[in-house]
Amino acid sequence: MTTSLWRNQIIPFSLLLSLLAAATLAGDYVLHQLNMVWVGRYLGIPGALLILLSLAYSLRKRKYLQSGKPKVWLFFHEISAWLGSLFVLIHAGIHFNAILPWLATGAMSINVISGLVGKLLLNRSRLYVQSERENFQLQGLSQSEVEQAIYWDAVTLDVMTQWRKVHIPIFVVFVVLALAHIISIFLFWGWR
Amino acid sequence: MNAKLKIFLAINLIVIALLVYTYPHLMVAPGKLSQGHQQLATDCFACHSPFTGADANRCLVCHKPAEIGHLTTSGQVIAKSGNAIPFHQKLTTRDCIACHSEHDSIKRSQHQGQFNHALLEKELGSRCQDCHGAPKDSLHQQYTGNCSQCHNQEKWLPSIFNHNKYFVLDHEHSARCDICHEGSNFSRYTCFGCHEHTPANIRNEHLEEGIRDFDHCVQCHRSGNKHDISTEHGKNESEDD
Repeated sequence: MTTSLWRNQIIPFSLLLSLLAAATLAGDYVLHQLNMVWVGRYLGIPGALLILLSLAYSLRKRKYLQSGKPKVWLFFHEISAWLGSLFVLIHAGIHFNAILPWLATGAMSINVISGLVGKLLLNRSRLYVQSERENFQLQGLSQSEVEQAIYWDAVTLDVMTQWRKVHIPIFVVFVVLALAHIISIFLFWGWR
Repeated sequence: MNAKLKIFLAINLIVIALLVYTYPHLMVAPGKLSQGHQQLATDCFACHSPFTGADANRCLVCHKPAEIGHLTTSGQVIAKSGNAIPFHQKLTTRDCIACHSEHDSIKRSQHQGQFNHALLEKELGSRCQDCHGAPKDSLHQQYTGNCSQCHNQEKWLPSIFNHNKYFVLDHEHSARCDICHEGSNFSRYTCFGCHEHTPANIRNEHLEEGIRDFDHCVQCHRSGNKHDISTEHGKNESEDD
């Protein structure tokens, strides 16, 4: 396998994902240092609202919303989902208590990863594999030799093309788990 | 989404719902319950009212206010330990959650102190020593007065008292509290507790200056600096020099 796809696409993607993890740890650390851990408990609310708002892009894409450029809505979708996820991750903290909210957090994390795959990697990777294929063909390699040369890049690309199949169903799972968590909070928590 | 996927998701979610119903202490409880309440781990509504949270009235079913500190919930006599005295009988409101949290993670992130003194009846609230021993340091060991003269009930530190506001304790006045505050009565003071100041020499020095009202020393002398003298109008004479 050539290392270019990893160097040019996968590693930047990993770094962006790491930024989310680093921001989560930093937020959690700051709250602990300021003795304001209780604030994290309430960050789930703006986090959930931001994720909810990010759905506007899906509504626009399916024409339930008529106004606004889809590209602008997509940008809003990415920003609000990333920020909402950050708030939810800080809200989750690094404390393992109930299983249900952790399942919701897990589903959200898979959702974020699949979203980033869609945003960052897919188009560029598709173009990259296509250019590699053309490059090898221009060098006079036979079809089977070309397929062999780009085999691992093509496999990686195939895996990445599955992102949409994951992104939406796992979002449904996340919504249901998050709703169950929110309902349990309303059911048992004393707001004051 | 295709139909198979929808069915798969539905089955998973039904399983999760069943797990939540069967194992609420694992699926939704914010951490383990405290030792004494572990038998209630799967019965959330023993303590929680739907949509309003843990309910003091449900606590009182087992914890009778008159018995708290005297008897356990099973009727065993509680041996007195240290200075601790039963005080739950003297609470103004039955708000158990103001001080108690029974789940691990709630205890960790609780933003208020574990005990809310504001819930005590006023008379008991001023008897700090009933529950708290005096700090062992030399400053507090010489003091027998009321803690609230220097501390509030929100936090022990920082102390709300600033001695310099009344009199600066410079190196010549770095003395034991009871030299000036006899009997640890901090509402009064005397400047005649040490050999430096005697009623006779203070009287003579002031009369020489034509000052006849010299009973309240710190009204004019806010520090040991003899040039730092405030008049009765609050004007500092040394500033006029």
